[in-house]
This record gives sequence, structure tokens and C-alpha cells, in this order.
Amino acid sequence: MKLAGLLDKMLAIARRDLLTAIRYRIGFLVGAAGALAELAAFYYLSRAVGPGFRPDGVEYFSFLLVGTGLYTFLVVGINAFLHIVQEAQQTGSLEVLMTTSTPAPVLVFLSAMSAFAGNTLQLLFYLGGGLLLAGSLPASPNIPGCIVIFGLSVVIAVAIGILAAALQLAIQKGSALVWLLGSGIWFMTGTLFPVTTLPKPLRLLADLIPITHSLKAMRLALLQGAGFFSLGTELVILALFSCVLLPMSLWIFSCALRRARLEGTLSFY
Amino acid sequence: MDSIVLESVSKIFRHRPALFNWMGRERGGETRALDNISLTVGSGRVLVLLGPNGSGKTTTLKLVSTMLLPDAGHVLVEGADTRTRPNQVRKQVGFAIANERSFFPRLSARENLDFFAALDDVPRSSRAEWIQATLERTGLVEATDTLVMKFSSGMYQRLGIARALIKQPSILLLDEPTRSLDPAAANHFWNLVRELPEQGCTVMLATHSFSEAAAVGDSVAVLHRGALAASGRLSGDVEELRAFYFQATGEMDETMELVTRRW
Repeated sequence: MKLAGLLDKMLAIARRDLLTAIRYRIGFLVGAAGALAELAAFYYLSRAVGPGFRPDGVEYFSFLLVGTGLYTFLVVGINAFLHIVQEAQQTGSLEVLMTTSTPAPVLVFLSAMSAFAGNTLQLLFYLGGGLLLAGSLPASPNIPGCIVIFGLSVVIAVAIGILAAALQLAIQKGSALVWLLGSGIWFMTGTLFPVTTLPKPLRLLADLIPITHSLKAMRLALLQGAGFFSLGTELVILALFSCVLLPMSLWIFSCALRRARLEGTLSFY
Repeated sequence: MDSIVLESVSKIFRHRPALFNWMGRERGGETRALDNISLTVGSGRVLVLLGPNGSGKTTTLKLVSTMLLPDAGHVLVEGADTRTRPNQVRKQVGFAIANERSFFPRLSARENLDFFAALDDVPRSSRAEWIQATLERTGLVEATDTLVMKFSSGMYQRLGIARALIKQPSILLLDEPTRSLDPAAANHFWNLVRELPEQGCTVMLATHSFSEAAAVGDSVAVLHRGALAASGRLSGDVEELRAFYFQATGEMDETMELVTRRW
């Protein structure tokens, strides 16, 4: 597929999502209010815990800010894939979309990218608002490092999202995977407290979750200004997860789609 | 050359009961939706699929559109196998689906068509012009900028047809296209369908209406319980088609019986 064509489709999807979001006027305001309430809750939680608690050598509020902001961004992004397929199944648009000239994996990928773009704005708003609330900006953040970590984390989230979409196509229950990430294993990723406080077996499990490495690396780069050399191990792990998960998830999605076409379950939900 | 070829096509839907099914009464088994069907549609011709509910008409259309894949046999569209070259097939086929929930409710008719046109690789330079022309052809020009959530079911039907036409397909699939249209709109629509073969477009139409079938079809395939009961050319005579249909399906023509009894 030519790049210009891909860009054209990307723009069409982004335009659709933007127009839909704008026309649901209240939804945008409610989302912003929710993010502000969350920020306030974490701010007062960190004050209640007190300045003596400095996980990984950083202020607890900044630790929470990066942890919850990036974790929510990634899980909401993963959820977007599931939501796109689920909604299309429920509305009956999945069958129609699957008969357009755009291959299904490209369509799901572009739709989720549009959702990620919207979430990125929310993440920047959340982090910016939080840092202003904290009253101090990081002294010397490694911005190129943050961008690389962010990019690798997005690739991993895309891969997990495609897996959730495949599960949704296959058994109409991709929400189980997102639930596992959102509720079942979040505490192992170091979102609210350092992974080092977990017992050893859980720490080993935590190392197998890519988001754990995303959060650790992002905190190092953004809050402590760690250079690429110090970030090396985490970057290699994130790159490995990306290289394995993305092709695997695309293959699984294609298999699930083929099976749904054979069994006539494309519009089941 | 034949635009659509179905070679010994079978389609089976398998029913798998839930894992923990002791509370429910769901049963396993399978439904043979299509059984060893073979038929062809010549380029620029209109084939009408007739048959009672559940006879396999929509399944046939879905197989041609690549929404479904056959369990046995081959479906060829302009020479491309739907199994091995589905992307090639999708570029050729427009499927008019009027399910109102298959549109984006908070987008206008124009915005919906613009979105689907982009996905169907309609060139950006000519897209606006083509959308306008399609809206005019389907009688939706006054509703161009109305959000589709405010549409009536007849308008959804027209928009479904517009969506199928927007990519200028060489094959158009229509599943009971005039179901929600008023007589004038239906008449306008059939005039549009009659023009399509002149432009080289092949049409496959599933309907229950003998008069519509006789008016626009070149040939007919009667499906009954997933099998091809009969096929033949159409002469335009409605009564002849009606007799052909009931003979092929073995069903009783209750409408005729009612008329005979009344007189």
C-alpha cells in the first residue's frame, strides 16, 4: 500500500473520530474533569504519605504522575483496539468495514492510531497539569530518551491491543485480556509503588510484563535524566518485546479474522 | 467473460454450545446454508436470486463479498478467488448493506460517504465530486449534510446503496434493496439499477419481489434450503417467473390461491 494512500486513510479515520468526539460535547468535558480529579487524588495521597517516601529516589507525586499517566495511556490505548472491534461488531459496521479495499489489520491499526493520538494529548495534559501542581519541573529530563521509550511502549501497546482485538473476534471476549491488564496485574507493573516492594516470585512475574519496563525507563529518563547508557537494559528489553509481540499479534489477528470469515461469526458479539 | 463464478460451493454454519451449558438448552450441530452450488453471472448482467427466507441468498452474497469464505468449492470474482486474493476481490465489489447501525450516526451522509470512499481508495482529487454525484443518483442530495442518526429507514437504505456505489464497483451486490423504500423511491432505484449494466457493472440481487426481479433481471437462480433449485433466463413476464419459482421450490402459491378463492 502506498504511503500517500495510507496517510489519506489515516486522515479519514482521524477526522471521523474527531467529528464524533466534538459532537458528543459533554463527553470531552467529563473526560477532562475525570483527569483533574485523578490528579488531585494522587496529589493529596502523596501529601498524606509524606516527603520521606521517595521511591527510586524521586518525589512520590512525580513517581505517581509518570506511573499512572503512562499506565493509563497504554491501557486505554490497548482498550481502543478492543473497543473498535467490539463496537463494530455490535453496530454491524464490522462486516461492512471488512469489505472495503483496506485490509482489516491496516484498518484496525489505523483506527487505534487515531485513538492513540487523542490519548497522547490527554497524557500531555495530565503530565503537564501534574507537574504544574507539583510546582517543580524535572531538572534535566532526557527528552530524546523519553521519545524512544514512548515509541517502543506504543508499539508494545499496539501489539497487545491487536491481540485483544483478535481475542474479541475469536471468542467475543477480548475484554478479558484488557481486564487482566487493567485490574489483574496493574499492581505488579510499579504504577503506584516500586516493584522492589513485591515478594520475589511476583517481582519475577513483573519482569515479564512489558509495561513494568516502560514505566521504569520513563521514570529514569524523565525524572532522573538518565542517559541512553543507563537506559540500555530497559531499552533492549522493550525493543525485544516489540520485535516479538508485533509480528506475532498481526499473525494471530489474521488467523482470527480468517476463522471468523469461515465460521460466519464476524458480526457475533 | 463471467464476472462471478461459484464452483460447487458449500457453506456450513456450525453451532457450538457454550462451555458450561447445563443451564441452557443450546444444542450443537450445523446448518448447511449452501450445498454444492454452481452458478455464473456474465459481465454486465443482472442475476436475481429468489428463494424463501433461509434459502441461502444472503449467504451467497456474503461469499461473493468475502464477508464469508466457503467451506468447499471456489468463488471467483473477475477471475480472483475470494480465498486466495480477497483484497483484489474487495476492490471490485460493492455490497449495499442498509443496516442503519453500520453507519456512523454523528457524521452526515457526506461525511460517512467520504470516510468509506477513503477506505475504498477513491482518489482524493475526485472524491467530493463523486460523492455529490452519488448522492444525487440515490436521491439524497437534500440530506447531504444531515447527521445520519436523523435518517428514516428508507434514507438508510439509499445511503447503503450510495456507499456501495461510491467505489464505482464492477460488481454490485444488493440484498432486498427496496425493502424500506416508498413506491416512488423504489421506482427511482430500479431505474438506477437498469443503468448500471450499461456502464459495465454486474449486479447480483437478492429479492422476494417477482415484479422487481422480472423488471430488472437478465437471469434468475432459485435457491431452496441451500440448494440451487432452478435457474434460467428471464423474459420480463412476472406470471411466468412466479410459476417458475413455485414449480422449482415445490411451495404452494398462496397468493394465487387467495385470488382464485376470492373470485
